[in-house]
Amino acid sequence: MAIEEEQSILFAERPEWADVTPLAQYENINPVAPIFYTNEYKDAADYFRGIVNAGEMSPRVLELTEKIIRMNPAHYSAWQYRYKTLMALKSPLDVELHLMDEIAVKYLKTYQVWHHRRLIVTQTRNPGPELAFIAKSLQADTKNYHTWSYRQWILAYFNDDELWDAELPFVEEMLENDLRNNSAWHHRFFVVFQAGVRKGDEDRDEVIRRELGFVKQSISVAPNNASAWNYLRGILDHNGTPYSDLQTFVNPYSVPHTLEETAEGVVDLENPLPSKESHLPAVAAIEFMADIYEKEGGDSLMKATELWKSLANEHDTIRKKYWEYRIREACQKVTT
Amino acid sequence: MSELLQLPPLTRIGHGTHGKRCLTGLPATQVDVDPSKLALVFYCLGTLDVLDQLDKTRIDEKERWREWIWDQQASGPYGTGFKPSSYMTPEKQSTDAEYSDDNTPAIIVTYTALLSLAILRDDFARLDRPGLLKFLRACQKDDGSFSSEPLGGDSDLRMVYCAFAISSMLDDWSGMDVDRALEFIASCRSYEGGYGQTPFGEAIGGTTYCALASIHLAGKGSSLSAAERQKTIRWLVQNQQEPSGGFRGRTSKDPDACYCFWCGASLSILGDGDLVNESALASFLGSCQFKFGGIAKAPGEHPDPYHTYLSLAALALHPPGEGTQGTSTSWKLHPLDPLLNAKRETANWARLYIPGHKS
Repeated sequence: MAIEEEQSILFAERPEWADVTPLAQYENINPVAPIFYTNEYKDAADYFRGIVNAGEMSPRVLELTEKIIRMNPAHYSAWQYRYKTLMALKSPLDVELHLMDEIAVKYLKTYQVWHHRRLIVTQTRNPGPELAFIAKSLQADTKNYHTWSYRQWILAYFNDDELWDAELPFVEEMLENDLRNNSAWHHRFFVVFQAGVRKGDEDRDEVIRRELGFVKQSISVAPNNASAWNYLRGILDHNGTPYSDLQTFVNPYSVPHTLEETAEGVVDLENPLPSKESHLPAVAAIEFMADIYEKEGGDSLMKATELWKSLANEHDTIRKKYWEYRIREACQKVTT
Repeated sequence: MSELLQLPPLTRIGHGTHGKRCLTGLPATQVDVDPSKLALVFYCLGTLDVLDQLDKTRIDEKERWREWIWDQQASGPYGTGFKPSSYMTPEKQSTDAEYSDDNTPAIIVTYTALLSLAILRDDFARLDRPGLLKFLRACQKDDGSFSSEPLGGDSDLRMVYCAFAISSMLDDWSGMDVDRALEFIASCRSYEGGYGQTPFGEAIGGTTYCALASIHLAGKGSSLSAAERQKTIRWLVQNQQEPSGGFRGRTSKDPDACYCFWCGASLSILGDGDLVNESALASFLGSCQFKFGGIAKAPGEHPDPYHTYLSLAALALHPPGEGTQGTSTSWKLHPLDPLLNAKRETANWARLYIPGHKS
């Protein structure tokens, strides 16, 4: 409480700042979109311009810039000058990161917060604790773009085997909480296919089998999850696997529920069936089947066209023009 | 569905007033606008431009806006560009003085400054072209990307796009290594068909626009393979969400008015803008209108100049069709240049005057 009271006293009224000449902000005679600052902000900003003008880099600069950042986390210059000061003073950077743990979660959507953190971690070269911090801040906002980007940067920049070890379990936990979290799906793709081959994953065919198994299982639980279908396509495209390899799996999703699937038969573990309560047919499955037929060409093109027509006129009417465009494109390919 | 769609009127006067009000002043809660104020100014002026309300604006007022924007042009050791605002400039400092390392110009607002001045039909006699090219060079990094300021800051596809747009408007590409920048763009491509903000990032509408517009501004549209193009079109089209009719920026997220522009304009750039369901789009944006003017990111939210301008820009590119009931003349806007993100007449003006007289 006492500290907060002290912080609310203007810098202009604090004797230990008396040696600084505050500098008011320049304004054109007719400013455009002037901001009606609070006194507290104006006071801090005046002292900040004064400090910058004098080139002072001292511990109190850290106090002043923190004050400004808390009122305006987008203040680019305050962040930049704070970083310069930390470097000049050789300040303990773990203390800075500890402060940033709190500020980052508070201002998750501010670019500067994350940029500053990158600069600091590039200096400390201690990425380990960062993954735990990110996992915690993702709880506050599970799809925050900056947070995920930062995680991808940490992994790629330090590229340390130990860092990668727990990534797949981490992604699985995120997906368990929300199967439709596309950021988590994307992260999975990054970890498995984009970030090089790590120990235990040398058998790439086995990796692809594992990933296909995972995504099929996920689609069987929620057949209308666009993120999972995009992941499936991503695996196939990345590895040059033909879509037709998946025909047995996809087909039951492209039609209404059938008797066959409810019959007590042999369970095909490779090709899990849609859950009974799911909404079928799934648009993505119809689209997928049409892609298979288009690729086959010849007579199959008619089947593809029928499926596209059903999407245009019945199952996905908002994209009517797109499905008609697919029909036109496919026909053009045949005639040319 | 589209045949029966009933649209509310586009409340043009209210949206114009929202822009003008913001140019007049902002409350203390918007202090975070300071480090990007010239971008906000562009959204406000762009709003007035696409709504055709600048003719009705007093000449002296437009003159004052122009002067303020030129006031942000600054020269120094890393070349010449525009500062976001005077938030770091001390009161008694002459604006002709060289900028310091702690108060440098920034690349995003340099792009918005040029377009804002074109909206105001400036003759660009005061533009320091060699300085601007030097500034671009100072911002480009080894990986081909551009940092937001010459001495640092984020570097991602947003700044890359601004460098391409500035070079294109100058009709001079000597300020950047184009091939290297194109390599950086390619490294941001995701398996979904869109582009992430940085390499390895999740595909998102805004930076997908930045990537596609940059590639096409440089005349390298053919560098995308047919399969890549198909995949990108698919991902963009999938982002139009049902039943709202609005676009989302990422797979499985909620729709947001700004992505109606970023995804819609991306399709226009690829030559397939007609794949947007315009009536559904207009219906969503119509519902994002705030009753006292301005357009919000989603129905029921508060409006801001960014979402107001981008919504109108999306409507200018994808006007609701004749099949839409109640399409009064209020929904008719001037055509837009999807690559520079400005009204076509404004983009033409920029391309005519920004290069200057070449000898």
